[in-house]
Amino acid sequence: MPVPSRLDRFVETEKQRHFSRDFMIGWEAYETWDEATVGQSGLAQRTFVITEEDILDYNRACGETDPLMIDPAFARQHPPTGELLQHPIFVTTIAFYSLGEKGIGTWIRTPGARNPQQRIEISEPFRYGEIISTTITTADKFTQRGKPYLQMLLDFRNERSVLKARWWCSLILPATRADVSRFANA
Amino acid sequence: MSISFGEIQTGHSLPPVVQSYTQPAIDHYALASLDMNPVHTNEEWAARAKVFGIPETVGHGMMTMSTLASVVTRAWGVVGKDGGSIRFVDAKFTKPVKVGETVTATGKVKRKHHYGPGKNWVQVAIEARDSTGDVIGLAEVGYNLPD
Repeated sequence: MPVPSRLDRFVETEKQRHFSRDFMIGWEAYETWDEATVGQSGLAQRTFVITEEDILDYNRACGETDPLMIDPAFARQHPPTGELLQHPIFVTTIAFYSLGEKGIGTWIRTPGARNPQQRIEISEPFRYGEIISTTITTADKFTQRGKPYLQMLLDFRNERSVLKARWWCSLILPATRADVSRFANA
Repeated sequence: MSISFGEIQTGHSLPPVVQSYTQPAIDHYALASLDMNPVHTNEEWAARAKVFGIPETVGHGMMTMSTLASVVTRAWGVVGKDGGSIRFVDAKFTKPVKVGETVTATGKVKRKHHYGPGKNWVQVAIEARDSTGDVIGLAEVGYNLPD
């Protein structure tokens, strides 16, 4: 699927330069609502190394103005950490980067998905250089008012297995691969 | 931030956050979050797919969640100077945010949780409305406040 070229001007980070902007690539292999099994667990396809530029760009996209969030030089010279503080919803970037295109949880990239609710818990701030591994567990699968909901729990841990954050990620999904295909081929 | 758990009262209002959901702002959020779903960035696909029943792109739910959370972090800091910090953000999305909307998010302290010195926290209820006055998102944010 063609990606609007106007997005090029927002590419700021190394991860963005190498990340596919075509959301539809590989959709045929994504996990679907009818295939997901509650309790199934696994590691995300990729790890995520925390960098200053990742945090900086997320904070800017959220419209933040606090120099502790958008001015690396200022942050280096001031408490509490000497690093940019990340917006609490920054785990979104870690998840979309880490989940990849195959295996459990790939339904986060489902064409036609709708976002009903989310819960994110922060244990401690991410620090530059940490290597974050994401464990995904299918947490719930239900229908409500005729809509198919899927929920997964993502645990984000650093290279020392310290839990940094948790995300209960819920989406309303097209129920079957045939349903997804109608959106993928729209 | 200079407010403490002892000083803060239930009903305390936090300054509003006003955010413009222009297409460039949504495009930037797509790259920053790596959520490249075309329902946010590709007008032609969005017109054909009508994911939300409307033939146009909309803002990311996670962008709305960020705006909701920012009510607390801009008031008290992501990590406060005196030891405050975010515990959780719990958000619900009630209406898609159309391109060009201005969203205003407001918050009030809903509950004080007395867990003891160094562990006390407050629950802030936040709601975000679009320019028509419709609620587009709701959140509860837990925040550790210094004693």
